[in-house]
Amino acid sequence: MTKQKVLLPFNFKQLDQKALAFVAQSFTGQTDLKITLFHAYTPPPELGKGDAMDIPVMSKMRERLMSLHQEMTDQETALIKAVEFLVENGFPKDRVHHIFRPRKKDIASEIVKLVKEGRYQVVVLNHKPGKITRLFTGSTFYRVVGELKGVTACIVT
Amino acid sequence: MSAQDKIGMDIFKVVTRAIAESDSLDIMADHLTQLLAGFLDIKASTIFVLEPESKELEVLASYGLSHEYLNKGPIWADRSIGCLITGEPVVVGDVADTDRLQYPDDAKKEGIASIISLPIRFLGEDVGALRLYHREVWDISPRDLDYLLILAEIIGLSLMYTKLNIALYNIKATISDLHLGLEPFFKAE
Repeated sequence: MTKQKVLLPFNFKQLDQKALAFVAQSFTGQTDLKITLFHAYTPPPELGKGDAMDIPVMSKMRERLMSLHQEMTDQETALIKAVEFLVENGFPKDRVHHIFRPRKKDIASEIVKLVKEGRYQVVVLNHKPGKITRLFTGSTFYRVVGELKGVTACIVT
Repeated sequence: MSAQDKIGMDIFKVVTRAIAESDSLDIMADHLTQLLAGFLDIKASTIFVLEPESKELEVLASYGLSHEYLNKGPIWADRSIGCLITGEPVVVGDVADTDRLQYPDDAKKEGIASIISLPIRFLGEDVGALRLYHREVWDISPRDLDYLLILAEIIGLSLMYTKLNIALYNIKATISDLHLGLEPFFKAE
């Protein structure tokens, strides 16, 4: 019986690898745990709208978009490898899952939505202070921590 | 790649429309890197934001580069290619024949043969960089470089608009919380 559900948003960066190692070390041995790795990818742009539809270069661009889909497949493969890392570190195979889906909103909203939908009790986040990109995209960490109630947040820095 | 024009007004129109019609900066930046790599038929594209105190270039969005290459280490504006020192675009036509790269071995391992780096500026200040990576030696045409410079300026406008938007949102959220906190003090006796 699953007593605790843990969500680990994963974006393939170094801090995400550190968070993965933290999960492997901290939750190992707990058989009533379910861990989910989550990555929300940006779907390819929609082309073919408006007066740009018929220009010759658009057909070339559509071909390139096929390779974008291949990139998405490669990303999911990398996410599955992260799942396999946890299995290799002692987690039962049926207790570790992954969710790989296109995002419709910003990352923080996608994480909050998934935590609520999936009723996760624990979310593992990473936070690097002083990141300048935060001024332009907002802080995923602060948004998630600010919007979730009754959820344990583990912070990897 | 020889110095023939690759970017026409049609491509420019599609790319700038992608910037103007997006309501999310990170999705816009992702789409822009995908579109640039696609239209120019190059390996990859990255948009960086500059940390003004440390002068580190942080990745805002990237397409076409491996996770290993993106995680190779911090990128310092004064040690990597140097377009933010000169304020002008820098064309590294052949990575095998330059000392401008901070991680030359990683670039070669990644399959990058040439890099173009353009400053992203706003009101005369550096805010980031746009980089394009090709798997072949690249001799970009002056007209394409001009188009990319204009695009970099549009990206700068978009970045600063979003930064202002987020700041205003945070101010609004703070004032709303403050207002709720002060309510008891304004109740009639």
